[in-house]
Amino acid sequence: MTVALEVRNLVKKFGGLVATNDLSFDLAEGESLGLIGPNGAGKTTVFSQVMGELRQTSGTIKLFGTEISGLSTAQRIARGVSRTYQVPRPFADLSVRENIRVGLMPDSLRAMIFGAADKNREAELAQSIGFSPADLERPASELSMGDLRKLEFARTLATGAKVLLLDEVFAGLTTGEISQIAALIQDLRARGFTFLMVSHDLPAMEPLVDRALAIERGTLLAQGPFAEVLSDAAVRASYLGVA
Amino acid sequence: MDLRPHHFILWGLFIAAMLLMPELVSKGTLRTMIFACYLAMFAISWDILSGRTGYISFGHPFLIGIGAYTTAILTRRYGFPVEASIPIAVVVTMFGGLIVLLPALRIKGSYFALVTLAVMELMLQLIPVVRPDLTAGTRGISRLPALTRGAEDGYYLAVGLMLAIALFAWLLMRTRLGTALWAIGMNEESVRGSGLSTTRLKSFAFLVSAAIAGLAGAFYAHHLGAVTPRSIFDVNLLFQIIVACLLGGQAPFLDPSLAHSSWCFCWRTCVRQSALRWSSYGHFWSQFSLRSRDRAGSLSMR
Ligand SMILES: Nc1ncnc2c1ncn2[C@@H]1O[C@H](COP(=O)(O)OP(=O)(O)OP(=O)(O)O)[C@@H](O)[C@H]1O
Ligand SMILES: [Mg+2]
Repeated sequence: MTVALEVRNLVKKFGGLVATNDLSFDLAEGESLGLIGPNGAGKTTVFSQVMGELRQTSGTIKLFGTEISGLSTAQRIARGVSRTYQVPRPFADLSVRENIRVGLMPDSLRAMIFGAADKNREAELAQSIGFSPADLERPASELSMGDLRKLEFARTLATGAKVLLLDEVFAGLTTGEISQIAALIQDLRARGFTFLMVSHDLPAMEPLVDRALAIERGTLLAQGPFAEVLSDAAVRASYLGVA
Repeated sequence: MDLRPHHFILWGLFIAAMLLMPELVSKGTLRTMIFACYLAMFAISWDILSGRTGYISFGHPFLIGIGAYTTAILTRRYGFPVEASIPIAVVVTMFGGLIVLLPALRIKGSYFALVTLAVMELMLQLIPVVRPDLTAGTRGISRLPALTRGAEDGYYLAVGLMLAIALFAWLLMRTRLGTALWAIGMNEESVRGSGLSTTRLKSFAFLVSAAIAGLAGAFYAHHLGAVTPRSIFDVNLLFQIIVACLLGGQAPFLDPSLAHSSWCFCWRTCVRQSALRWSSYGHFWSQFSLRSRDRAGSLSMR
């Protein structure tokens, strides 16, 4: 079993606030791990450190066995890890197709100038996430919240990364959209993708993960099978507000 | 953004009209249009960096000035032929800009604009005092070799150069690189989150922008026949570039990327002829010219 992501003793301090507190966990290749915790627990901060958008105060992050803490975000993505943002960050004036195109682009000026865009792949990605062919040319500024999340997911997938960090992909989606995205995630899992996902929609997340990891104030509370973690006394107290 | 048949027709008409212009208008108007062509080149240069990536440059006169001064010094002080001095001017502009302005590309938002403005002001102050034997100080360098004879030839040269630069910029911006630069202007974090090195992209846009500014600046110097610090490192020129770009970018009746670059030329001509000029940037202009007059006044008092 290959370890896709190995986080050891990760600490992130914002001034006096400890957002990640000595957190360690492994994510096996092909595994899907649910990261749960109340608002402000530090879930998004973990994602940002894995992607290099925030620099950790201390601790190590390894991707497929290689320490990536010194790498830029682009280099990390090239090594196979990519994320969605909790608040979608589309390119507002670009069409759905062009948004996906940016995700598909190789990080090489030469290829960007002389290589043509792969229109079939763009359409295929958009379709797999549930966009209709008519949506392809719509500017992102016209999309609903649900569509923006789908676009965010599509652009992340387009980077070609096999380790995907999904931050609240279901928020603001209709039940129809949730089942479509869930089906896509199941399909990707079957194809060997690795997931670390955050969602407040626990029933939607449960069938999509092999395991769960609960944190509160940056500290690990429990990890293990989803049902066990949810029934853990500390997790129930912090997350569900029940003693 | 794909080209439609009517785009080709409109462009054909536009180019035909441009080429016929010397038959139709007076010499004076022709001279205005030569200036408009150079302004369009400067605006294209500005657009590639600032219009796309959203990093607003107030320092383009600085880049134009490097190109203009390099060719002026090489031809007048060292006897270089223009065939050599202009390409050298382009390279020097790219390097000069790189050293001074590239570090600023790591600075976010309005600070980039301020740093570039500061660099331009610095040049205005430095040129007269550093190596005045080469630059001839505030008087500037005059009697540069002319590339053309008469307004008509000068006009054809300017139009040809402008169209060539516009075509190049347009082709470049149609590539995926153009899309990526545009995306940076909308959300730089997301571009980085899509696996692209934004620093490399911005540097490239900057280099292309500087090369065009240096090229156009060098030709412009030979067109004017003289360069002075006041005529180049000038906020008025800066605002004309930006206004040309903003107005040009709003011509909706052609392909937007084409409009973005080359139509600023047409607008510029209209703007120059009309009161719009004063209402559009008159405010900034008066502010800055008042201030620079104050400064000139305080200098002469001393
Ligand atoms: N850039 C920052 N500067 C200072 N504090 C920050 C910063 N980013 C996050 N925090 C703080 O760190 C803590 C963890 O935030 P984070 O966004 O990771 O939580 P989260 O688990 O993703 O919450 P949510 O469920 O609301 O998305 C919060 O207290 C937050 O206020
Ligand atoms: Mg969060």
